[in-house]
Amino acid sequence: MSKHDFILKVEDLSIAFGGLKAVDSLSFEIKEKEIFGLIGPNGAGKTTVFNCITQFYKPDRGRVYFRNKDGQIEDLVGKKPHEIISKGLVRTFQNIELIRELSVIDNVLVGSHIEFKASLFSQLFRLPKAKREEERLRRKAEEVLKYMGLYHIKDQLVAGQPYGILKKIELARTLMLSPRMIILDEPAAGLNDTETLELIEIVREIRDKLNTTILLIEHDMKFVTDLCDRICAISFGKLLAIGTPEEIQANEEVQIAYLGKGDE
Amino acid sequence: MRKRENKLIQVYKSKKPYSDYILFGILLVALPILVDIGLLKYSYLTTIASILIYSIVALGLNLLVGYSGLISLGTAGFMGLGTYLAAFLTKDLNLPFEISLTISVLVPMVIGILTGLVSLRIEGYYLAIATLAISEILRKIFVEFEVVTNGFSGKQASYPTLLGFLDLGRNGTFILIVVFLIGIMILTYNLINSYTGRALSTMRGSEAAAQAMGINIFKYRLLAFAIAVAYSALGGVLYMHFVKYTYPNAWTLTLSLNILAVIIIGGVRSIPGTVLGAFVVFGIPDLILKRLPLIGDIDGAAYIFNGVLIILTILFYPLGLIHIGKDLKKLRFKLRKRKESYSEQA
Repeated sequence: MSKHDFILKVEDLSIAFGGLKAVDSLSFEIKEKEIFGLIGPNGAGKTTVFNCITQFYKPDRGRVYFRNKDGQIEDLVGKKPHEIISKGLVRTFQNIELIRELSVIDNVLVGSHIEFKASLFSQLFRLPKAKREEERLRRKAEEVLKYMGLYHIKDQLVAGQPYGILKKIELARTLMLSPRMIILDEPAAGLNDTETLELIEIVREIRDKLNTTILLIEHDMKFVTDLCDRICAISFGKLLAIGTPEEIQANEEVQIAYLGKGDE
Repeated sequence: MRKRENKLIQVYKSKKPYSDYILFGILLVALPILVDIGLLKYSYLTTIASILIYSIVALGLNLLVGYSGLISLGTAGFMGLGTYLAAFLTKDLNLPFEISLTISVLVPMVIGILTGLVSLRIEGYYLAIATLAISEILRKIFVEFEVVTNGFSGKQASYPTLLGFLDLGRNGTFILIVVFLIGIMILTYNLINSYTGRALSTMRGSEAAAQAMGINIFKYRLLAFAIAVAYSALGGVLYMHFVKYTYPNAWTLTLSLNILAVIIIGGVRSIPGTVLGAFVVFGIPDLILKRLPLIGDIDGAAYIFNGVLIILTILFYPLGLIHIGKDLKKLRFKLRKRKESYSEQA
């Protein structure tokens, strides 16, 4: 498999809510190990695209091809949302979705839910099999937390942690399965400048060390242009342009979508 | 100081509460002895036994409400079904206690799973409606299906015989109930601290996160409900063999709501809280209120008591009365800290 093969290919994706076409015949392709940004003004349908890829929404039309762990290409459309992670595709959420009542490490452990195999019976009686499995994955979660610099708070509850930490915990949760691709929904929203710079480093490192492809939505143009290899700009669910950050910044249509036309 | 508090949390986390549970069990087992030497009235023992049984039932409901975020209003119906099955199988069919116990738990579980298959697909709250209906249907069956249930006059059973020869008397049955309660507490603790428990908590906290992490929401909802029903039915079986009498009007919505009150008052997502709640909701009216002058004469004093208590708990301890203990500990910690800082200054 060469570096230039695609890992995710969205083809002619469309979804409408009532009369509103949230995504309209959108197509793009993401290469292996790429950091790919999806940008667009508010309401452009970015999160809807994410939800269509991860099957939280069922697209009206179109295909979402994903190259799974074995190198086979699968169409994700029609799969159940909980089946997507087992293909090697994990996501985060725009409004952090963590469980307040659980500790930091327990939240991260939820990320490897599909790796747990012990039966209900052996969990009830804490049989050696369940215990070993729990310990093995707990150690892995500790490693991930160390990597993210969260180890010291692993046993604290998620409730009450600062926003930047919550974002990191959510990112840590996606790493538990060593996924082939991570989808980040506005990872830098609400972070201060230092935290944003740190995040850029972390995302790059994840890509380089774990051989993961990253697809992200972001409003912060500086963040996107600093981090992404290629960017796809959309507006009102339609594709405006795909290209390198420089190309996108120079693109006239993108400028119009963001800043408006002079004669309007 | 922060570090020290963290350490405190860690110690608190790593300690398994098995020994606490077992100690609690040993204390309970001593109660029949107190009755025998005349220190405790027999009627108290009966009340405590039913409190323990309701604790088992409430633990199941807590798993459902506290961990999975679902509500069932059919607790009483499934518990009643457990009593009738136990009576029918041991009295009418003369089956051994162990086999009767297994069937009496499995049959309600199957009915529960069927109810869940229909109602859990749509939305969490439909389970409440469906279980309310099932519970009323079951109660109607207890009344109408007279050949087996004896209608309004109710059905009787006797103390269980273990392994075919070990006849348990009143005290033996009480100990059996304690053993079951402690066992259920330990199993429930294990379950909520396993990946299944985390999956349940996740789906209660965020369905989106649960799905994104590969948790099959329908499967886990069904599982939680099946366990809750199994606990209810087990409670029913134990009730039948201790109280030795069951009748349709014991299994109304009021009981289901009382068990819900146990969780709210005692502590959502807390095993000791559930047991504490059962003692408060089912114990205080019977053991204390009824024996007070004036208040004891009011009909429905228990309802007033529980109602007021729910309001007070929600206002001051929204997570349940079990957190009073933690608050006291915190207070002591604070006082000690203050003392330390004083002595440092001096």
